[in-house]
Amino acid sequence: MEKYAVYVPKLVTKKENFAPGHRACIGCGEALAVRLACKALGQNVIVANATGCMEIVSSQLPFTSWRVPWIHTLFENTAAVASGVESALKMLMKKGRIAQQDIAVVAMAGDGGTSDIGLQALSGAMERGHNFLYLCFDNEAYMNTGIQRSSATPFGASTTTSPAGKMSMGQFTWKKNMPAIAAAHNIPYVATACPSYPFDLLAKVEKGAKTPGPAYVHILSVCPTGWRCATDLSIKIGRLAVETGIFPLYEIENGRYKLSLDPPKLRPVTDYMKLQGRFRHLSEDLIAKIQKRVSAEYAEIKEKAVADKE
Amino acid sequence: MVTLKIDGREVQAEEGKTILEVARENNIYIPSLCYHEEVTPYGACRLCLVEVTGNGRERLVVSCLYEVADGLKVKTNSERIAANRQMIMELLLARCPNNQAIQELARQLGVEKTSFKLDDNQCMLCALCVRVCQEVVGVSAISLVNRGVDRALATPFYEPSDVCIGCGSCAYVCPVDAIRFEDIGDTRYIYWPNNKMEFKLKKCKTCGNYWAPEKELEYIRKQANLPADAFDNCPDCRE
Repeated sequence: MEKYAVYVPKLVTKKENFAPGHRACIGCGEALAVRLACKALGQNVIVANATGCMEIVSSQLPFTSWRVPWIHTLFENTAAVASGVESALKMLMKKGRIAQQDIAVVAMAGDGGTSDIGLQALSGAMERGHNFLYLCFDNEAYMNTGIQRSSATPFGASTTTSPAGKMSMGQFTWKKNMPAIAAAHNIPYVATACPSYPFDLLAKVEKGAKTPGPAYVHILSVCPTGWRCATDLSIKIGRLAVETGIFPLYEIENGRYKLSLDPPKLRPVTDYMKLQGRFRHLSEDLIAKIQKRVSAEYAEIKEKAVADKE
Repeated sequence: MVTLKIDGREVQAEEGKTILEVARENNIYIPSLCYHEEVTPYGACRLCLVEVTGNGRERLVVSCLYEVADGLKVKTNSERIAANRQMIMELLLARCPNNQAIQELARQLGVEKTSFKLDDNQCMLCALCVRVCQEVVGVSAISLVNRGVDRALATPFYEPSDVCIGCGSCAYVCPVDAIRFEDIGDTRYIYWPNNKMEFKLKKCKTCGNYWAPEKELEYIRKQANLPADAFDNCPDCRE
């Protein structure tokens, strides 16, 4: 990944398609991710947005943050709505009702709307091969309803429905590997991104929107409210998630893996966990268990990336 | 504020803005390669041609340089404009037949092949990198050298530049990806179409990762008047 300092950020467009003044919490990584994604997508786009934090905070009647065409959908049918929009556009252009042009169709949803409730619609849309981009903003629980666990919640995290206590160590299942599920549909483009690496995110969203056929980008969004961390640490925690190997940044283009950032040495997972209240209760052997799994998963992805490079 | 018509649509615009800026604000698409909102327009690629009617006659102007005026009538799409854009595209395609970005734009403008003799360049001399280097970074490490058919993008005398800080802005902003850079281990390589340079990267004192070119950090440190040890740690290890 390219390391840019202070000059390149001045060259990113100043036009905000996701307007400020929305109701996101202080330090919200997801609002930042949406803002960056909207910059990368430009104006020629139609967004289908599932219920979730971003829909709640950005569309308080009578206000809206969206300066692009935007449809609010239910949790379960974001991908279905996006595929409908895409098919309709295709037919309108074929019949000559609107001019032939490149309009990106983008579905946005949280981790609950993607890996739990909306999974079958997403799977169907990817299988049918619609030309659309699906962005999953993963903050690892149902944050807008009060931090209930989802299948994207990591092992050991304490949430209101997987509380840590005498009888429980928090979430007892491992995080669902959504990018791998998307990649298993043999779609042309799958990527993971994080707003702590803004240029990488901009490039991946742009690439996904330009890809003919379905594209899936999984974006880790730090949630200070739900992760019980300081609000000024969201960028740092995002970077630590990548540098510890918990959330590796990679792309899968036509089945070929490519690591976007491969740090020479991974940091220990405790660097990432000690900053968050949701992992505070974890004992040392549980952390060792997490470390073991994280290292193994990272090694697996790295192995694939090295094999595909050759 | 002035009022003008673009493609029959009445739009309000601030005085002193160019047609391209106003069109972009109002979501009217005009193709262009060499325009960037951060730097002064240069009118190099000529793809943003539009037809304006003023003083009773219609003429072709470059919209990134033409300022808006009250009562101006602008057409962004007509047969005449399309024919002119296609000719420009054919010339660009003849210069850079293997460039993906140019191939893509040519396809969008309906140009499939060029009738001119093929060259093999990646750079189309729009000088966007030169302007960014000068106006945004403030170092002027690269420029367009020579004249006519020999015109090329390079550092002075094709030798490694003293002032280049290796920030990579030129590579980022290039509309046709003719400039590349990569970080391998402790070195950053920047490849311009005609020469290349190497930069040593700074190692973080705490984590040991290489995180930015030493020259760039030194330049920023001097500009911002920071103490000598300001960049010893990378942003992740900084307290």
